[in-house]
Amino acid sequence: MAGESTRLEVRNLTKLFYGVPAIDSVDFDLRGGEIHGLLGENGAGKSTLCSVLSGLYKPDSGTVSLNGHDVAFRSPLDASNHGIGMVYQHFRLVDSFTVAQNIVLGLPKDQRPRSMRQVQSMVRDLAEEFGLHVDPSASIWQLSVGEQQRVEILKQLFRGAKILILDEPTAVLAAQETDRLFEAVSTMVDKGHGVVLVSHKMAETMEYTDRITVLRRGKNAGSIETRDTTPTQVARMMFGDSNAAERTTFDTAHEIGEPVLSLSGVSVMGDHGLHAVDDASFVVRRGQVVGVAGVAGNGQRELQEAIAGLRPLVGGSITIADTDCTNAGPKATMRAGLAYVPEDRLGVGLAPGLPLEHNIALKSYDRAPYSRRGVLSEGEIEKTMNQLVEDFDVRGNRPGMRVSLMSGGNLQKAILARELNEDHEVLLAAAPTRGLDMAAAEAIRSHIVDERSDQRGVLVFSEDLDEIVHMSDVIIVMFKGHIVGSFERDELDLDLIGLLMTGSGVTRQDTVVSDEVPTDS
Amino acid sequence: MMGRIRVIPRGFAGPGVRFGVPFGALIVALLLGAIILAIAGNDPFEAYSTMFDASLNGWSSITRTLALATPLILTGLAAAVAFQMRVYNIGGEGQLYLGAIAASYVGLALPATTPIVLMLGAMLLAGATAGALWALLAAVPKAYFNADEIITTLMLNFVALSLMNWLIFGSRSFWRDPRRPVPSGKRLPENAVLPSLSGRMHVGIIIAVVAAILLWWLLRKTSWGFQIRTIGDSPRAARYAGMGVRSKTMAVLALSGALAAMAGFSEVSGVTKGLEPVALTSNIGFTGIIIAVVARNNPLGVVPVSVFLAAITTSGSRLQGIGINVQVVLLLQGLIFLTVTAGEFFVMNRISLSPSNVTEAADGTPPSANEIAEATA
Repeated sequence: MAGESTRLEVRNLTKLFYGVPAIDSVDFDLRGGEIHGLLGENGAGKSTLCSVLSGLYKPDSGTVSLNGHDVAFRSPLDASNHGIGMVYQHFRLVDSFTVAQNIVLGLPKDQRPRSMRQVQSMVRDLAEEFGLHVDPSASIWQLSVGEQQRVEILKQLFRGAKILILDEPTAVLAAQETDRLFEAVSTMVDKGHGVVLVSHKMAETMEYTDRITVLRRGKNAGSIETRDTTPTQVARMMFGDSNAAERTTFDTAHEIGEPVLSLSGVSVMGDHGLHAVDDASFVVRRGQVVGVAGVAGNGQRELQEAIAGLRPLVGGSITIADTDCTNAGPKATMRAGLAYVPEDRLGVGLAPGLPLEHNIALKSYDRAPYSRRGVLSEGEIEKTMNQLVEDFDVRGNRPGMRVSLMSGGNLQKAILARELNEDHEVLLAAAPTRGLDMAAAEAIRSHIVDERSDQRGVLVFSEDLDEIVHMSDVIIVMFKGHIVGSFERDELDLDLIGLLMTGSGVTRQDTVVSDEVPTDS
Repeated sequence: MMGRIRVIPRGFAGPGVRFGVPFGALIVALLLGAIILAIAGNDPFEAYSTMFDASLNGWSSITRTLALATPLILTGLAAAVAFQMRVYNIGGEGQLYLGAIAASYVGLALPATTPIVLMLGAMLLAGATAGALWALLAAVPKAYFNADEIITTLMLNFVALSLMNWLIFGSRSFWRDPRRPVPSGKRLPENAVLPSLSGRMHVGIIIAVVAAILLWWLLRKTSWGFQIRTIGDSPRAARYAGMGVRSKTMAVLALSGALAAMAGFSEVSGVTKGLEPVALTSNIGFTGIIIAVVARNNPLGVVPVSVFLAAITTSGSRLQGIGINVQVVLLLQGLIFLTVTAGEFFVMNRISLSPSNVTEAADGTPPSANEIAEATA
């Protein structure tokens, strides 16, 4: 909006975690009366930037200024007193309290209206003003997800927020609720509020924002007027231009064999009772690495769990090396030949409080050589552990030490070592290099790609598109639980993949299917 | 930035820490206790030497202490095996009563001439089975509907207590001795009584110690115990590894109930020699919970902790004998135990006064032990 003064300005902002920058010399500004989209892959620094703006983190260097005055927030409350409010993707609400109670929760006494009735009528007025309808006397547990989100927004408006940061607000919403949200947001903007919209979704960003800033690996990859740009350009800013040299690091000359993992029409429910994966079909063949590209939260985790037998299928079938593993449970799936490196290392892939030897034996503790007739052979377990520690260069273990004290790279090597040491036909690896340093990540990648030469299949999920491109023979793109595209290595179109990942450009009917799907059901 | 007091999980405690800390805590407790004794007008040295004499000095003191420790070991094991899997069986008390009821039934029902080994074996088996079934009343809803076992096991204690009281005080049941005017249980025949080893100490102590060793072996050395330890540490990792969490939950609660019920068998057969509700309701089941916590759920640790607690208890009555107020005695016992228990915190964590400025991780979760350890290394 012309004439509006810049409200929030960020210059050269850097925030380090243990010496590693999460955001690095980032510039960003927000004008009153605009919706400013903040885009980037996972780990690009969006959350860190928002957490600095909302007073949760203190920056290591750089300035934040508000209407021309430098500010340094001591706490989220301080930021809120300056008129900045954040709505997190995961709500900060007390289930058993009412809407009104949640809204005043945490306010200092002098800022709190005297009676709950007064709060309720103020909330009612605010809700009316911004079109955020919700009953102030209802308890949170009675509300839908969309209503709870309105409570979060009302909470910030009640505190006088003029700048609102919405962290992936539509991730949890159904389509109509999304429309209602943006109606309310445009009401705020009309009244001169500034809104930062953190998002992964291209369509809504293009549709609703006035400007877009893209973060890539902690740096500002550009700020741009929305009407002057195209989805392709934004996708390129988000995911970068992978150069061809990187793609051919791993040799491509290997034999492609029989299907070793087949999914046919797989549908899975998410944690909230909606379809997280809908009608997914693809095959992984022996000697082949299939990479699944997609922004986190598009059904990848649910699909991984379904393949691993940890989440029931509501439709379709899964076959692993000629064994029908549809709803067979984790053990049968494992015995059919699935090695699985889960996304969550500590807590799923490893029992964090137990020592390394225990975790090495985690999957075959009940079979020879780890145990005989129900009695553990500690010597055998230790022997295997020592062998794997050496083969996979796992460092930092001490006898009896809980594994959670080891570094992420070593934990990941340990999981991979265990999984590859088990009898297996296909490896499922989820975010295998997330959070690892370059050397560890490269070591993990080469172990994974080496599986091809043993005529095994690999299915790898990663949010890092470069990594997927780097490793895979076939790339599948997932968006909102659907397989929206499939590419052979030599027909790769990175621009198209970037668009598909953000849910724009191509409809489902246009998807390229490069492998026929087994027809048995 | 101000320096902050920071609690840092050790993750790894050497033997020096594991044994040194409880010992240090005991000394602190005795010093604090000395202050209280002095304030109450007693001589701390006299009090402590009396405590030592009464519980651990001389064979008769030791046998008395060990007799008291016997059921505590069993209920301590019952709690330890459940807690190992983070299933909170608070129902040891009720399971103990069921064990006593079932064991005494078999002891009274079988012919008095039944050979002693057979008789005691049948009583033990009946008691353990009853305790396991009683625990399953809580375990099945826990496994299938995730009903909170803390509530269900606790509530079942009251049901079991009422049942036992009814059998003796409220009815003319099989257990009640009809010839005596005061309601009490029938005497068990001689072959249904655990033989005395020396003084009050009976064969039950051997059963308890063997149970401790077996349980330790089961948890540490078998693939079944491997699963229990995995589930206790991370149910999600256990599920990932294909372990049946539901069946283990039921099995562990049943085993826990059986062990607590064995304490009931041991008391009814070795001490009260008949179903005597008043003598059996001395919080043995609840004390087992404290013992398990202090022993860090290690079955082998349960034995010394039980003996220590029994020693404090036996010496308490003697302290009253030398004129120390009963409240002061209870206070002293509580203080010793509380301090030793609190010492546990320092085994698992160390305190740092470093001025380091460790911030939260990028995703807003608090830093893990790993990150703190690295950042402060």
